[in-house]
Amino acid sequence: MNILMICTEKLPVPPVLGGAIQTYIAGILPHLRTAHRITVLGVQHETLPNEETIDGIHYVRIPGGIFDTYCDHVVQYVQAHPFDLIHIFNRPRLVLPIRQVAPHAKITLSMHNDMFQITKINREEAEEVVKQVSAIVTVSNYVGQVISELYPEAEGKLRTIYSGVDSERFLPGNHPNMASIRKQLRQAHGIDQKTVILFAGRLSPNKGVDKLIQALPELAKRFNDLALVIVGSKWFSEEGTTDYIAYVRSLAKRLPIPVVATGFVPPNEIQNWFAAADLFVCTSQWQEPLARVHYEAMAAGLPIVTTARGGNPEVIVPNENGVVVERPEDPQDFVEKMTYVLSNRTLMKKMGENGRKLATSLYRWERVASDLLHVWQHVEQIDLSVAPVTVSTEATLDQAVTELSIEPISHVEPSIPEKAIPNKKRKRSFIWAITT
Amino acid sequence: MFIEPWIVDETMHEFFVPDYIEQMAEDVLRHYDLSVQSRQVVTTKPDKGGAIWKLETNKGPKSLKLLHRRPTRSLFSLGAQRYLVDVQNANVPPIVQTKEGTDYVEAGGKLWFVAEWIEPLFPVTKDLEGAKQLCYALGEFHRLSKGYVPPKGAEIASRLYKWPKTYEKTINKMDWFRQLAKAYKEMPASAMLLEVVDHFQAQARESFARLQQSSYHQLVERGNSEWGLVHQDYGWSNGQMGANGMWIIDLDGVAYDLPIRDLRKLISGTMADLYRWDVHWVREMIRAYDEANPIDASLYDVLMIDLSLPNEFYKNLKEVVYDPELFLNEQTM
Repeated sequence: MNILMICTEKLPVPPVLGGAIQTYIAGILPHLRTAHRITVLGVQHETLPNEETIDGIHYVRIPGGIFDTYCDHVVQYVQAHPFDLIHIFNRPRLVLPIRQVAPHAKITLSMHNDMFQITKINREEAEEVVKQVSAIVTVSNYVGQVISELYPEAEGKLRTIYSGVDSERFLPGNHPNMASIRKQLRQAHGIDQKTVILFAGRLSPNKGVDKLIQALPELAKRFNDLALVIVGSKWFSEEGTTDYIAYVRSLAKRLPIPVVATGFVPPNEIQNWFAAADLFVCTSQWQEPLARVHYEAMAAGLPIVTTARGGNPEVIVPNENGVVVERPEDPQDFVEKMTYVLSNRTLMKKMGENGRKLATSLYRWERVASDLLHVWQHVEQIDLSVAPVTVSTEATLDQAVTELSIEPISHVEPSIPEKAIPNKKRKRSFIWAITT
Repeated sequence: MFIEPWIVDETMHEFFVPDYIEQMAEDVLRHYDLSVQSRQVVTTKPDKGGAIWKLETNKGPKSLKLLHRRPTRSLFSLGAQRYLVDVQNANVPPIVQTKEGTDYVEAGGKLWFVAEWIEPLFPVTKDLEGAKQLCYALGEFHRLSKGYVPPKGAEIASRLYKWPKTYEKTINKMDWFRQLAKAYKEMPASAMLLEVVDHFQAQARESFARLQQSSYHQLVERGNSEWGLVHQDYGWSNGQMGANGMWIIDLDGVAYDLPIRDLRKLISGTMADLYRWDVHWVREMIRAYDEANPIDASLYDVLMIDLSLPNEFYKNLKEVVYDPELFLNEQTM
């Protein structure tokens, strides 16, 4: 088919500025181009030409930043260029304007967060969007579940496709490519003899690193070799330091253990910090769609402590590749779950190995692309009026694993959790350590 | 070259502006049909990268402003200023157009614009009469701002739907204050902060519960443009008396909102200056505002709820997160 993939108005593809959706698109593109003719429509960036063809993928870049501006240009483009299928990333509000100018194209949606919420798109429009699209793929069951709670008629069109990770780039710290980087990073920050706890993510109340910092004084009494690494931008900048970052910084200053705050780390260097760590902690307080860092931690062979929020627990097989904090608002729950993991080195090692196996089997980009190709293939064959997508997540995951003939350590049951962004990038990466 | 915030230390003039920005100012002014006799910095925002110059020109005094916000955000405010002058005939400084007929020049990744410098302007007296004049002018401003629709390409700046979030943040940040007072418990002011924070947090929770039960949610359904704009930085310096009545200046931060948020800020700020709650002042200020922009019963309820939030405690304490060791010292006691 002749397929158009439409990115968001915020960040460019390839992901020169990072971004979860942009990383996802870049990850699957190499595996899509053999089956279809692909055009990627996205926002302009000063480092990228407005039109180019690389490795058989055609890129067109238009003005964006503001949704309305972007939408106008998308519509103009679609009007002038016919496609068989148009796949839209995370912008349900693009669907109807596109439908106006592409009455016969199949439209599919890829949902990465809560853009179907009432505050983001009004009910009437959303209902029409659901009617017009042939399939909606989501990055977690949680994202799909929220959509079908709001719009039950979407149910038959929903399909979870878990994201992937480049497990050649994210490698365990003992991998030959990483061992010296790990050693060097740890020595440079005076934490080579420590058990290094890693947080990586936006420094915001939603992401909740303050709860981890509040758990550490108690943990430091129980374990005498801990160190904390916080990978997240804006830690240092005068401009753009939010009151939350200031708060976290002030709390961290009082910790009885070494704290390394990296500031902004370019996307292509972030794997080094994963390789330097011993335990990964995700502290999400909000209903997170499903944070990418879980896949990266798994690929880096790290045991994971995450929270029972949104889609996060869907990729954790408790005690196999990590544990889940049920009450993330309470630092004491982190103390207990982390104590459980940290007091058993054999368990930590096993969790890390299992995570790595999952990353190299289930969470490969090739599998993500193949799932999407299945959906497209199905959509190609169906009439819009009868649109239930029948491929099931589990079936495809099973298939992917069988084809690889890799023994999965344990089947991932996509569990339904209990009821439960563009940063201004800094040009330099800062390294700073509080040594106590 | 992109404009970045700059650092000012004791060795510099208080209105220091980096040379490359002064150079840009000169380039920007070439877009105007003005012969500039002098240019003088009158205020700066070094931490954000903003500045205002006063110009003496062949066409009288003007202001040149470097807006620190995102260009798309600045477009929203510039559109509002034009709407208030052109459509509503409000007493706000008219924008001077470039030779090309635009309202602004983009340079260094920011928007710059020239407006009339209104002279003479006098602050109103710092007494109840002055406060009432400010309130009346504010009400007029709000009434005239209704119906504003931003130009294409502008961000929609709105706080209208964000009240519950703001209230929740106030409640949550009381937790931060408490945690910091505990982490820095040897500091002189920590014990006192710990003594009162529960009390104020309870007040904030109560205000939040009342807001959720109020007609707030119905009121906001009327929508942004129906409600119009708040100034967000209104007081004795941005509302001043001119030759033909009160003028309102510095509109860069305008956003859609329930108008009474400006009024609430003016009232609670004035009460903080008085060091006490004075019911007579509050009543008179609301009455003066109401004359220019009538407040109905449900909006009045929301005003009372907003006044019940521990706004001033929060405002005075929120800086603690930046440097607890400096903040929680004897002076704070």
